[in-house]
Amino acid sequence: MSEAAVAVGLSLPKLETVEKVTGRAQYIADLSRPGMLHGAILQSPYPHARILRYDTSAALALPGVHAVVTGDDFGEHRMGAFVKDETAIAKGKVRYVGEPVAAVAAEDEATARRACQLIDVEYEELPAILSVEEALAPDAAIIHEDLAGYFKVFPAISKGNSLSYTEIKEGDIERGWRESELVFENIFETPAQAHLAIEPCGALAETDAQGRVTLWSANQSVFRVQANVCESLGLPMSKLRCVTPRIGGGFGNKMEAHVQPIVVKLAMVTGRPVKMILTREEDFQMVRVRHPAKIRIKTGVKRDGTLVVRECELHLDGGAFGDDSPGVLGYALLMSRGPYRIPHTRCHGHVVYTNKLRSGAFRGFGNPQVSFGAETQLDEIAEALGMDPIELRLKNLMQPGDHWLGGQRVDSNGLADCIAAVREASSWDRRKALPAPPESKRRGFGIAVAAHISGLLGTGAIVRLLEDGSVVLNTGAVDIGQGSDTVLTQICAEALKIPIEQVSTASPDTDGSPYNWGTTASRVTYTTGRAVLAASRDVERQIKEQAADIFECSTADLELRPGGRVGIKGVQAKELPFLVVSARAHWRKGGPIVGSNTLVYETPTIDPKRAVALGLPFQQIGVYSFAALVTEVEIDEATGQTEVKRVWTAVDVGKAINPRLVEGQIEGGVVQGLGFALVEEVVWDGARLANPTLMDYKIPGTMDVPYELHSIIVEHAQEDGPFGAKGVGEISLVPVPAAIANAIHDAAGVRLRRLPMNAERVLRAWLAKEGGPKEKSLAH
Amino acid sequence: MSALQLHTPTSLQEAARLLAADPEAKCLAGGATLVAMMNAGLVQPSAIVSLRKIDGMAGIKRHADGSVRIGAMTRHRATATSSDLKAGQAVVKHAASVIANPPVRNMGTMGGSIAFADPGADYPPALVAADAEIELIGGNGSRRIKAADFFTDWYQTTLEPGELVAAIHLPAGDLHSIGHYDKLARVEGDYATASVAVVLTMAGKSCAGIAIAVGACGPKPVRLAEAERKLIGSDLEDTSLAAAGALLAEAADPVDDVRASADYRRLVIPRLVRRAVRAALAQAR
Amino acid sequence: MSDIAVTLKINGRDRALHVPAGETLLETLRDRLGLTGAKRGCNQGVCGACTVLIEGQPVRGCLSLSANCDGSAVTTIEGLAKGQALAPIQKAFAEAGAVQCGFCSSGMMLAATALIVEHPRATVDEIRAGLAGNLCRCSGYRKIVDAVLSVIAGEAR
Repeated sequence: MSEAAVAVGLSLPKLETVEKVTGRAQYIADLSRPGMLHGAILQSPYPHARILRYDTSAALALPGVHAVVTGDDFGEHRMGAFVKDETAIAKGKVRYVGEPVAAVAAEDEATARRACQLIDVEYEELPAILSVEEALAPDAAIIHEDLAGYFKVFPAISKGNSLSYTEIKEGDIERGWRESELVFENIFETPAQAHLAIEPCGALAETDAQGRVTLWSANQSVFRVQANVCESLGLPMSKLRCVTPRIGGGFGNKMEAHVQPIVVKLAMVTGRPVKMILTREEDFQMVRVRHPAKIRIKTGVKRDGTLVVRECELHLDGGAFGDDSPGVLGYALLMSRGPYRIPHTRCHGHVVYTNKLRSGAFRGFGNPQVSFGAETQLDEIAEALGMDPIELRLKNLMQPGDHWLGGQRVDSNGLADCIAAVREASSWDRRKALPAPPESKRRGFGIAVAAHISGLLGTGAIVRLLEDGSVVLNTGAVDIGQGSDTVLTQICAEALKIPIEQVSTASPDTDGSPYNWGTTASRVTYTTGRAVLAASRDVERQIKEQAADIFECSTADLELRPGGRVGIKGVQAKELPFLVVSARAHWRKGGPIVGSNTLVYETPTIDPKRAVALGLPFQQIGVYSFAALVTEVEIDEATGQTEVKRVWTAVDVGKAINPRLVEGQIEGGVVQGLGFALVEEVVWDGARLANPTLMDYKIPGTMDVPYELHSIIVEHAQEDGPFGAKGVGEISLVPVPAAIANAIHDAAGVRLRRLPMNAERVLRAWLAKEGGPKEKSLAH
Repeated sequence: MSALQLHTPTSLQEAARLLAADPEAKCLAGGATLVAMMNAGLVQPSAIVSLRKIDGMAGIKRHADGSVRIGAMTRHRATATSSDLKAGQAVVKHAASVIANPPVRNMGTMGGSIAFADPGADYPPALVAADAEIELIGGNGSRRIKAADFFTDWYQTTLEPGELVAAIHLPAGDLHSIGHYDKLARVEGDYATASVAVVLTMAGKSCAGIAIAVGACGPKPVRLAEAERKLIGSDLEDTSLAAAGALLAEAADPVDDVRASADYRRLVIPRLVRRAVRAALAQAR
Repeated sequence: MSDIAVTLKINGRDRALHVPAGETLLETLRDRLGLTGAKRGCNQGVCGACTVLIEGQPVRGCLSLSANCDGSAVTTIEGLAKGQALAPIQKAFAEAGAVQCGFCSSGMMLAATALIVEHPRATVDEIRAGLAGNLCRCSGYRKIVDAVLSVIAGEAR
């Protein structure tokens, strides 16, 4: 396109920024409705117990209490993204410490909480399963006795406490081992990580005179909220309207349900609006965490550095309910070969129920865990072969046109450029020539690469030309702060060649928005952007039809002109503003101009001629973005504490619709990855969380991250992406732990295979360098 | 249940009287600890005795002999930026500067902090190394107690019911001594995983006097005359530092918590002692 | 009841209130005065989303008892703009891409405002130190520091 861009490619400020910088943005906690009551939840004190009886009489008698609900007030309805195993509130059994057991609606929050303390619940304790090993033991107590009978959206391989088993195979791994000259096998462990969006979860529900419910909540998808609430309450979906306030951060924690079903129930039972905002501690205890993982990676190579065979065995701790677990398992396995040409591959694993807080979606969705293992092991392989870590990767790198594990062809692949960019920007080849670090510090450089999808599932867009020629865009995509409203508006504005000020974005509303699976899987720019572009082109077509009618010419003779006009090519004077065209459409002929498009991502993940997959919960996953990351660290010799000094991250995003927003995603993901790598760990003390507060669970602050976070945008156009764009929301987190681990090795000569790589672990490894415990294989 | 009362006495004696009269009443200094605990439901006082209106409770005064009085209501920020804490007394200033973060340092007070006696806090080892004395006031008048004796156990001090901290007194110390506070924490602003407070006096190349207190490694700060004797008269070379550090690690009684294991704390104490003493030494040169 | 009479000067305007002894300044601002720009992220004084200025100094709204703040001058995010004219720090945050979800932004901008007053030529490290009490989970802090730098450089004026 020879014309200057109207919007795409420009770092325009976000549309909602003024309300956010003036404190006027309304998040869930800021909303209220006339006559509103407040809700509170009673949590389970046991990890695994039968519920024998409830006594709610004292709670109901407390002045100001309007309703008390328990599992007895809910039918046998279950929700779940893949396996429908979860009731809205504990019913019959409790399965983790902290699980909601009862809920109260009262005049004010203090009364509601006091009433919860007055609810008496009698339990019969059951043996608690607190680890994957315990869950898979032959005579383990069974957490979901009805697992076989639960509705499953895919043919899950489930048994006992194993929720899902998945396997992907390509080539012939036995042949691979025979052809390998060296074999490396390691076990890696990663902990649960808390999302720690600064805004805790909350919801507000209100019924109308007909009993229809409107629900506001902190969410990443009004449509998933609607489905989850209706499934768990046995409500027809047409009876629930889900809308969204501003969202104070979501990293997967707000995609599936939290308190919404309970809050809706309280509103329905009381006939009054009910609001519930979790405390930070409740948010830690009741929502979801990243899957703790044990990853065994075995890789066979030739001495010249050719990768021959990869086996990955994965065990994920899924916690008490399925949530997104089958998806995380399947996706992690799909990512476990990485962006390399490895002809023989077998990846397999289980996600398992335990009596702990459910694990669920968290930025990266299993990829950070397996990439930590795979990219760290590659570094070890490079060292053993005497190769530069970059050279080893380049030797085996997937090229454009190659096929991902499973068989999906990937044409848009800028990984080599990403690697070259960070190699150059970090002066990688001159890293050993830097001046010595300060006394008592050791310096190291590390590199890791990543691929991550964007795409998956369904989306839509409606673009409406208003009577005056301006535009309203409605996609149902929730902007969680990453800037999707702005990016989608830029796409629409660019397509119609109108200034961005002439496009308004409708707030997601299950009543009026077309379906959007959700703001997750780095998918909105690519997937919803495709729909927006197609809907905008549909509007263009209708505009041109009107104009062709007016000008008595062919639509092929027409062009859109900047500023919202349509005219005959080459004839400057023959043009009409959109207003004229739209007015004609509304009042005289053709009907109001509404462009629409819906799509579901359709490219299959598995090509049966290339690969065999068992128990894979998705059939189409998305398009691939790529990243490379180099980090420089300094380790303190006295304490083992690691300081990240500089980070260079290059991401192939296809096309940066808004470069500054892309940088924001890269930088935010890197820092969240830094937390995962060095500091963060959800700790259980027996069955209960040991650190469910911000005093005890720490995330990085300004002083814990370097100012020198360099973001490099690489653009290898994704053919079917809007203006070539694909996603960036998650990918920058993925390579961070391995890059830091590799840098720690460069600095101190120690290989850490367990996160977080806190001072204690680094120092111990350092002191034990001469001889350490042998690797154990995953036992069972 | 009657509503929470708020008292705003104008004298320390009145405050002490109010506290003695109601064992369920709590003192409000900066609020950084009390209000956080109230918000978490960990404490439900019957009344709050705010110290806000009592004259003379805040402020740092350096006397002609070099000793310093720090009023109990002095905010961490004031202590962290005070030019009245000189020489070895600067260990207390350094400790103040790494407590939590700027907004909390604008609110929290030394009296409130030490009365709570969180073993992971920064003042206790610094005050012990500085040979501070704590001035308490209560129904029976005022008394002073050495900082080392003030902190008795996990979250416990010698404060009697109805008593409160009036001020903290730092001796002048040697005018050529160096104070240094070394804090190891998971992230900036966290409680210490382990910390070392040092007050060092050199005579030429040789150590003439040293006080070392280890924090966050037990119910109270660890200070050991035997460890200090290993260093006095030495050149503070590694073997002496290691010996002193080993004694301190042995004397410490750390626990496993979310910040670190007890083993790691024992492992890192001698290394932090070496680092802290060498940092003080570098300033002495 | 036993509510306590207190006068708070909020964004330059005196407000005479009656509050229970245990009501935090955060609760007073949000629930009583409708100033919801200050946010509750943890209620323990760690996250910083509740940060407001008292006499120009950043403090935690969640750890301040309103009844104990009688006579104080409080500045909230709602007090920074002059009518429609955004303060330089607000413009800078908007233009630098320093606002993603925005939940930390009110506290962050107020802390930055106080920092700039105290250190009109703050370096990157001084800015980082001054904002160390405000957590952000979205941005990685880089663009927040850049926004403050731009105010210092006068670009936002």
